[in-house]
Amino acid sequence: MRLLHFEDMTVGRVFDCGTYHVTRDEILDFAREFDSQPHHLDEEAAQRSMLKRLSASGWHVCAIAMRMLADGVILKADNRGGAGAREARWMRPVRPGDRLRMEAEVMEAKSSSSRPLGFVTFDCRLYNERNEQVALVSMTPIVGKNSA
Amino acid sequence: MTDIWWEDIEPGNRREVGRYTFTEDEIVAFARKYDPQAFHLDPEAARHTMFGGLIASGWHTAAVWMKLMIAYRHTEIAGGARRMRAGVSPGFEDMKWLKPVRPGMTLTYYTETTAKTELRSRADMGLVFSRNEARDEAGDLVFSFTGKSFVQRRPKGDFG
Repeated sequence: MRLLHFEDMTVGRVFDCGTYHVTRDEILDFAREFDSQPHHLDEEAAQRSMLKRLSASGWHVCAIAMRMLADGVILKADNRGGAGAREARWMRPVRPGDRLRMEAEVMEAKSSSSRPLGFVTFDCRLYNERNEQVALVSMTPIVGKNSA
Repeated sequence: MTDIWWEDIEPGNRREVGRYTFTEDEIVAFARKYDPQAFHLDPEAARHTMFGGLIASGWHTAAVWMKLMIAYRHTEIAGGARRMRAGVSPGFEDMKWLKPVRPGMTLTYYTETTAKTELRSRADMGLVFSRNEARDEAGDLVFSFTGKSFVQRRPKGDFG
């Protein structure tokens, strides 16, 4: 397959990034390592929290968005790293067993004047099986230009 | 001892949250699950990329901030500090990955309260903003973002 370049990342283009099944074990593993707050680790503690039920860490949701953007776009492109993430919104809890779907829309494509690459800002929108949006992760990978 | 409510929070108070040394094994393990780009995943393949070697995923650098924040809060509370009535976070803004994080590098993480606002949608919570950073051994800024968290408002009748 032809490698995607900066020129392919036109504003408004939407990439379907497939689905991701979030298991209870994965939620617990991520929480144990990085975000050991009770509402990410323990069902009873979660019931007493704002989240009401055991939910994935927001940082875990961002990592999942990264994986889905990698599989859906970045690994098919001339990838040159990442500049940052403009924002993340954790809108609804992500629960054990959720099968998330993600679409990534190109919101901005900024060409570098000094180097053969550009900064592409994607709004990554994640939805659960009830079609409720659970998160927005807006991140800016760097993509090489088509010099051919 | 009383808790810290939204009303008690003042901007300022920059503090060191903790230090963390990134290992090659951890960088690769995170990349396998969440960010399988060659420069995060494979030390040999990474040598042939523009980074000239393995670097951590930016989301790994971010997740370590959370890990250190939790450990820091536990230490503070164990040392007798008041407990902040913080709940969950609605997200963050303006995250920047400014310099590559390589195996063996030690980052020092900082946090500082920058602002707070009321919430129109809820009377029992307010929002608190923080400026968060990680710096390398030379003191150079490597990573930063603006954090947001919901903090409970002081209940009426509590003058703690």
